[in-house]
Amino acid sequence: MQLAPVDYLILATYFAFVLGIGWILRKKISTSGDFLLSGHAVPVWITSLAFIAANLGAQELIGMSASGAKYGMMTVHFYLIGAVPALIFMGLFMMPFYYGSKARSVPEYLKMRFDEKTRTFNACTFAVMTVFSSGISMYALGLLLQLVLGWNFSTSVLVSAAVVLIYTFLGGLTSAIYNEVLQFLLIVLGFAPLSIMAVIKVGGWAGIQARVAPKMLHAWTYLGNAKENSMGVDLFGLVGGLGFVLAFGYWCTNFLVVQRAMAARNMSDARRTPMIGALPKMFLPFVVVLPGLAALALSQMGVGYSIPIKDGGPDYNQVLTTLMAKFYPAGMLGVGLTALMASFMSGMAGNVTAFNTVWTYDIYQSHIRKNAPDRHYLTVGRITTVAGVLLSIAAAYYARRYSNIMDLLQLVFGVVNAPLFATFVLGMFWKRTTANGAFTGLITGTSAAVATLCLTVAEGKGGWLGNVHEFSSAMAQNFWIAMVAWTTCFVVTLVISLMGKPRPDSEMEGLVYGLTKIPRDEGARWYQRPVPLAVVVGIIFIAFNIWFR
Amino acid sequence: MLDLRIPSGWFFALLGAILVAMGIFAPETRAALTEANVNLYCGAGMLAFGAFMLILAHLAARKPR
Repeated sequence: MQLAPVDYLILATYFAFVLGIGWILRKKISTSGDFLLSGHAVPVWITSLAFIAANLGAQELIGMSASGAKYGMMTVHFYLIGAVPALIFMGLFMMPFYYGSKARSVPEYLKMRFDEKTRTFNACTFAVMTVFSSGISMYALGLLLQLVLGWNFSTSVLVSAAVVLIYTFLGGLTSAIYNEVLQFLLIVLGFAPLSIMAVIKVGGWAGIQARVAPKMLHAWTYLGNAKENSMGVDLFGLVGGLGFVLAFGYWCTNFLVVQRAMAARNMSDARRTPMIGALPKMFLPFVVVLPGLAALALSQMGVGYSIPIKDGGPDYNQVLTTLMAKFYPAGMLGVGLTALMASFMSGMAGNVTAFNTVWTYDIYQSHIRKNAPDRHYLTVGRITTVAGVLLSIAAAYYARRYSNIMDLLQLVFGVVNAPLFATFVLGMFWKRTTANGAFTGLITGTSAAVATLCLTVAEGKGGWLGNVHEFSSAMAQNFWIAMVAWTTCFVVTLVISLMGKPRPDSEMEGLVYGLTKIPRDEGARWYQRPVPLAVVVGIIFIAFNIWFR
Repeated sequence: MLDLRIPSGWFFALLGAILVAMGIFAPETRAALTEANVNLYCGAGMLAFGAFMLILAHLAARKPR
């Protein structure tokens, strides 16, 4: 694929705008709270789009269009059951505690509700994960650009990291959030035409139906038996593993996304952020999954498109970029590539800003230097931004050198957070939960996840410590490990808590259900109130599932 | 506080203008699998979206809170 000067012009325009937004917002920063938390001043439509955009990294975009070609319509589960119920739950039931407790981060809530050790454990695992995640996605982007455009790996990695560093350094979280919205709009406007053209080319949905196996065209119909569907998962694994444990674990406890909602102006905005975000989330499959499916149909037509091959097998990760090369002329091609860069940057900025806050408040302020003036923490936050970006770059090169270790790390990250949601459910809704219960539960749950990974095999991977069970697919393994980890954490936390002495109610006001006043927004219009909004989002969610069945 | 609709409006308007110019002055720039003048149509769409954002921002700025 060859780029024309106009494509570079478009890329340069984009860089100028993201840096310009950072430059304008730099004046707003005077405290560490402005830099790390946006000072609770961001409008709700912006927090909502940023909430979704921080999750829509380059790997997500490339990976989900690849899944569209590999698994077909079942991929939409990641946008529906793997997100929407969790988003509604988060807004309705969890946000009152996050926002109401005045915690500055998810680990800090754990400190307020439980104790220092639970917070530190969560802060450390989270910090390591964000650095490696942004490193892995940087590596994925560098590799793809090298493959498709012949760009030098180091140049694309370093330039894109430098841009992210500059705008997050200048404007902190606000700059990251504002740019995430711009990036989100660019991703949608840059990829929607591709989806439309590819589907028109294959003759619409009927054309796809005529060329693709029926099991690729349904989300629910073939879930009765793991061997019959394209993903190799069964109904219980999908609903329990993805829809419950992984989705709630990710959307409700991952500070990367929760931070966006916490930046909202007031409680009502914070609660509505995940639910308003759910609306564009449900439409993303049309932009992200559909091109993959259309590419599969297109490869059957003999019009000069085939699924790219790497090492003798299909390389679905290149589906999105090869489609772009076939449908976008110079000009629009630049927009498409810029959108890809934008998705990478929104994911990376999300990781960097979350890492920043957790490091500065939950590790540095609570363990290294406690009572410094705020100006000191602002400086630490800024230095951490630089350090976070440098560590991510190091992780990207590490990933390039030891790609097998990175594959393993990704498997571990996929399940390591699964038990955390059990800790939160019990902590937020059962006031009897004790600090020791939560900590022991979290440790055993996390260990259970890693142990299950080491004791089971799927697609020839895993089973380093023995082979107790063989799963029908890596996806099924992932879902079941999540359920094992969650259940272990839940049961252990429950048992240990019952053996210990409960904390007095007076210490837990604002932290636990039943001891917290949940505000009622009397007099506000229906769409300004969380509950009616949740009902509307829920109805649209059900309608989509029936449509895609 | 910066109204994000202003920079994003200008961004998409500018992108749209570049694409429309490509579509008009270099209409023979086509991709392999489509006959359409992709730049012209996508550019027009982006220009309209950018203008819409700018109008919204303008209206919001005129209306005092």
